[in-house]
This record gives sequence, structure tokens and C-alpha cells, in this order.
Amino acid sequence: MTRDAPARIVVEQDGARTRIRELTASTYLRPRLLGSGAGPRVALVAACASLLAGDHLRLEVEVGAGAALELVEPSGTVAYDARGGRADWTASVRVEAGGSLVWGAAPFVVAHGADVHRHTGIDLEPGAAVLLRETFVLGRSNECGGALRSTLTAVRDRRPLQAEDLDLTDPVLRGSPAVLGTRRVLATATLLGIRPDELADPHETALDGPGALRRELADHAHLAEDALEPTWARWRRLVGQTRPARTVTCRTAA
Amino acid sequence: MPAELGALLLADGRLPTGGHAHSGGLEPALAAGAGPDDVPRYLEARLRTVGLVEATAAVLTLRRCRTAGADVDEVQVALRARMPSAPARTASELLGRGLARLARRLWPEHPAVAALDSLGAPPLRPVALGVVGAAVGMSDAQVARASLYDDAQTVAAAALKLLPVDPTDATRWLLDAGPTLEEIVARALTCTGPDTMPATTAPLVEQYSLDHASRSRRIFVA
Repeated sequence: MTRDAPARIVVEQDGARTRIRELTASTYLRPRLLGSGAGPRVALVAACASLLAGDHLRLEVEVGAGAALELVEPSGTVAYDARGGRADWTASVRVEAGGSLVWGAAPFVVAHGADVHRHTGIDLEPGAAVLLRETFVLGRSNECGGALRSTLTAVRDRRPLQAEDLDLTDPVLRGSPAVLGTRRVLATATLLGIRPDELADPHETALDGPGALRRELADHAHLAEDALEPTWARWRRLVGQTRPARTVTCRTAA
Repeated sequence: MPAELGALLLADGRLPTGGHAHSGGLEPALAAGAGPDDVPRYLEARLRTVGLVEATAAVLTLRRCRTAGADVDEVQVALRARMPSAPARTASELLGRGLARLARRLWPEHPAVAALDSLGAPPLRPVALGVVGAAVGMSDAQVARASLYDDAQTVAAAALKLLPVDPTDATRWLLDAGPTLEEIVARALTCTGPDTMPATTAPLVEQYSLDHASRSRRIFVA
């Protein structure tokens, strides 16, 4: 295992149940099976104090046709002071037809002095569904937070479905009344592959293709996540994975 | 038509495209607590985020319109994937419709204008702007600048209706944003295709558009 080799989680449908075909740990992450609901529930357990300058955490997730997978994170990730260096975090997700992935990520905290680039690439076949929650926290308590750039690209049936580039590297632009203003937490729930029949909250919006998005800005991670909770629960039912949203609670970053 | 005249036309608020009904999200930004001092920062941050995305889409459309039978829809699909807010897409469609209506009446025989009919959805403002730019022979930089200037001027002009602002101050905001605007023009020109189109996201601009859409009492469409 080289230092930057990816952690891998691969599931496939075997008759009536989803089985795990691969759980590969990396320098940074140890995927661990917690149990199963609609499909396996896998915890992403941190294997070391990540992320430090020079780190490149990589995660690959593959959900086979008709399979269901839930990813949970027992603790938040902290990107520490990079002292001039940079850390990278990359997730590649592929979900085949009829498959589903629910991933409620724990807060991603960007400490003062950190410089971190995140990229999430999601590739869906028609009939696949993904529900993702990301919470970015700029700074631990009483910090203004380092530089974060987070990009997400979702492609469905080879057609772009959602593309975003949250460039929060420049504190002036980040603090402007167009980007985050005075808030330091941004939580986003992204539903991909399914078009909800109705949107129940003014901050929920339908994507141009099948999908929906809701963001919340707040001063504390738990407030942003609590605000997202009703949307998360509803969209989770749409994805067909009805387990309570937060079986593992994490408020360390708040 | 000379490209210079086309550029002036597109920058002129008297061009009948419906732009006067838009505030570039300023009205909901003010409702959310922003004040007069925030307007220049808001205007400039828009240029650096949604402004960059839209200017790039306009340039990519323009380039594709220069070759017959080019696929403009691919640009529009990429742009729609970068606009998660449904009300923001609707507002952009309204502006795009105004430009497309002009283009169909003024240059019905131009191949770029015909490309509008091949789109899978109503043209968004930047796509319609790229088509008009092609019809009047504008350069890439002229179209990018027109897109950004229109966005900035929309915010500045709306501020005059929403806030006790001196028109000279609003003009100064635009001039002060000039270096940023030119920097973004240059960045928009470096993009080579829809796959690599910038996607710079402005979460508050998105939130404002959603807040505004759910309000019944408002002055501007968006």
C-alpha cells in the first residue's frame, strides 16, 4: 500500500441482498462494516490525524446495479495548519443502475492556516440515486479558518447534472455578501438521480436534471445540520434508505 | 453591423430585453440585511463567481456559433448544471428570451440565431448573449465584457431604486470594479470547452434567489 493509495468500498447486489465485495483501508481511512439496513452500513474511520500538509486522502466508492450502501463518519475531519503546504481530499463515486448511496458526511473542519482542496466526483447511471450531505466548517472555535476549495461534479448518463466549485480560499471573497457573508459553516444536502415531487422548504431547489439541493449557512455546524435534517429525512425516504439519519452523532466540530 | 455598435447596444439599458426588471439578487440581499456599503463588495463578488461562469458560457456559445451546425446545447446543459437554483434559471431564461426575441426579429437568417431553436430548453441569458454576439460579429472579449458589465450594471441600477444612493456613487462602483471585470474577461477567454467551464459557486446568491422567489411583495423579478 503506497501512502496515497485510495481506500476502496465496493458493494454489489447478490440476489436479495447487497454484499461487500471490497473494503480496502488506506493510510488515512479504515472502512468498517457497522451493520446493515437497506444495504451495508460502512463507517469511514480515520486511521491517523488527517489532514496535514502533503496528505492526499483518496476514497473510491462503487455501488453495483441494484445495490444499496450507506456511509457514515463517526468523527469529523480536521484539516490542520498546513504551514505553507497543501492537503488534498478526493472522493470518486460510481453508482450503477438501480443502485443507491447515502452518505451523511461529518463536519469537515478547516483549521486556521490549513490549505485544502476537496474534490468529489460522482458518476450515476440512469436509475441510480445518491444522497450526500457535506458540512464545511471554517475554523475551529474562535478561528477564522484556513483556505478551502471544494469542487463537486456529478454526471448522470454522461450528462452534467451538478457542478460546483466552492472557492473559499480568499477570505475577502468568502466573507462577501455573495458567498458566505459572516457565516463560517455551510451545509449542503445534494440529491442526485431523483426528482422530488414537491419541495417542502423554500431553501430546497430542483436541479435542472433529476436532483435537488439544499444549503444552510450558520455559525455552528450542529445548527446547519439541524436545519437540513427535515430535508435529509425526506430525501432519504425517496432514495429508499429509511434508517434514522444520524445513528452516529458527531458534534465535535461545533 | 459593426461589432462596436453591437457592443454598445448590448450594454445599453434601453435595449428592450427586460433587464430593468432584475436586480441581480440585490433586492433579496438587502432584505437579508445587506446595506449600501455592502453593494460594491456584492457586485464585485458576483463578477468573480456567477459572473465568471456566465461570461465563460457566453464566450463558448459565441465561439460555437462561428461554425455552422455547432452544438450550443452542450454549453447550455453545462451552464444549467452550474445553476442549482431553479428561480435563478428562470430569471436567466426571462432575460435570454428578451435577447432571443430581438435576435429572431433582427437577424432571422443568421445561422447562430437558428441554433437557438435546437436548444432543449429556453436559452439562458449568457447563451442568448453569445448568439447575439455572433450575429453582430463581436469578439470573444467584447461578449465576455458585455456579460459582466450587464451583471454589474443590473446590480448598480437596482441599487438606485432600492437605496438612497447618489447615481454618481453607483457609477463609481462600476468604475472601481473595472480591474476585476477585466481580470474576469481574461479568465473567461482561457476556457476551452463546456467540460472545463468554471463552476464558481456563490451560496448566498443562490439563497437570495430562493428567498426572493418565495416572497409575494417585491419590486424586481430577481
